[in-house]
Amino acid sequence: MRTLAYLLRESWVNMRTNRMTTMVAILTTAFTLACVGIFLLLYVNLRAAAGWLQDDIKIMVYLDDRLTSDSIAEVEQHLRSDRAVASLLFISKEQALGEFKAQFPSESHLLEGLGQNPLPASYVVALSPSFRSPDAVKRWAERVRQIAGVSKVDYNQDWIDALATVIRSIELVAIGIGVILSAAAVTIIANTIRLTLFARRDEIAILRLIGATTSFIRIPYLVEGAVLGALGSALSLVMLKFMYELFRQQMRTTGRFAGLDNLMAFFPPSVCLTLIAVGMGLGFAGSFVSIRRFGEGKA
Amino acid sequence: MRSTSQGTIFDGKDTMIQLIHVSKQYDQRSALSDVSLEIGKGEFVLLMGPSGAGKSTLLRMLIGAERPDGGQIFVHQKSVTTLRPSDIPYLRRKVGTVFQDFRLLPKKSVFDNVSLPLLVQGVSSADIRRKVTEALRAVGVEHKRDQLPAGLSTGEQQRVCIARAIVNGPVVLLADEPTGNLDPVLTSEIIELFKLINARGTTVVVATHDPLVMAQVNRRVLTLSQGRLLPEQRGLA
Repeated sequence: MRTLAYLLRESWVNMRTNRMTTMVAILTTAFTLACVGIFLLLYVNLRAAAGWLQDDIKIMVYLDDRLTSDSIAEVEQHLRSDRAVASLLFISKEQALGEFKAQFPSESHLLEGLGQNPLPASYVVALSPSFRSPDAVKRWAERVRQIAGVSKVDYNQDWIDALATVIRSIELVAIGIGVILSAAAVTIIANTIRLTLFARRDEIAILRLIGATTSFIRIPYLVEGAVLGALGSALSLVMLKFMYELFRQQMRTTGRFAGLDNLMAFFPPSVCLTLIAVGMGLGFAGSFVSIRRFGEGKA
Repeated sequence: MRSTSQGTIFDGKDTMIQLIHVSKQYDQRSALSDVSLEIGKGEFVLLMGPSGAGKSTLLRMLIGAERPDGGQIFVHQKSVTTLRPSDIPYLRRKVGTVFQDFRLLPKKSVFDNVSLPLLVQGVSSADIRRKVTEALRAVGVEHKRDQLPAGLSTGEQQRVCIARAIVNGPVVLLADEPTGNLDPVLTSEIIELFKLINARGTTVVVATHDPLVMAQVNRRVLTLSQGRLLPEQRGLA
């Protein structure tokens, strides 16, 4: 117990002795991890948005104009018996025309000039949750396109796919930047620990001479590295939360994006704790690197 | 104690330290050359010789801080030469060391400095208090327990260093020029302390080039000169 207290006290003493270095290490680690955090936050929010869009996907099944009401009933029967279909809404040619006129009142005269209603009847289909993935939607649309009486199947997958591509790119950038900046955080902490080790080299030599094991000597520095990493990570989360709230405030006050701010989300507590643990791990790794280098070839 | 030119068979329990044909070179310069010696349990040995004779190298080898280029070293029936690095701390817990420059931690109190060898072994708080108090009393600086090393005289600092070396009851006490920074009066006091420690059964090896120490210790003397062991002599009475 006394040994544990000693080791923890030594970590604290190390940090207090090199107060300025410790502060700089925590701050630079925080800025570094905040940069990674920005991409992570962007990635998390875009992924959530893509999820909502995918969940909300509506598929338009347009019917052939020449279909009789019996044939339309057959198509409807076919769709209703499909287990991928969650809901179905029939829009007749007249309803389609009414909706067009309501949505584009200034263009309605174009259709009147044609003499007859050119808009087809259609079904608006919502799929069951397990059939909403991009691939499943694509497969389902291709299958339905083969049904007799179906002239066209349309859905807004193209730009959902485009969004998915953007998300994948951000994911790759986040991973790349994450790896590079994490290595930077490890180096920053490693250098801080190296300074501490250098400042206490005489003490370490004495500890070795009186029979301290390698782990006894290392533990205070490993604890110090882990604490620096955890504090840096926690501070980066505070900075990110501040920037996030500022950004939301800006969106709220900017008329164009009003309402979107409610769809944004910060990291949940579990992710925050994970990020702090990751920071701790990076600090531990940085410390370990320095200790290994420092310890080699010493008596 | 016996030193031999051809080395000796390691003869077991009465031998505390044994060197067999030990050699060490630094950058083509021979620090120790074919040194063989044996030190028995409970002996008090002076290791004499001028600066650079190889005394410190020999002591450092006894605690595994240096590896010989050739030969074998045994301490307390364990081969130091074949010891794994991870086992060296356990050897050092049996061998107390005293230095000319004391090597005390300047920001720790006398009590904390002396308690370090016990702390690294995970000794309980109660035992640490008891053993540190005993060690400080044995060297006569119990009343300084809460002071920092900077507040002590050189003689007191050396006493604290000795207390740290004996606090965990080592089987061997090695001292490298322990009186190098002390005046003749303090030198006498420190030598008396070593004699007391030796009288309790601890093997004591003191490396020194100070003839005053030799004059005070009427014990066996090993003399090193340019890395070679000279024929034995006794200290002056």
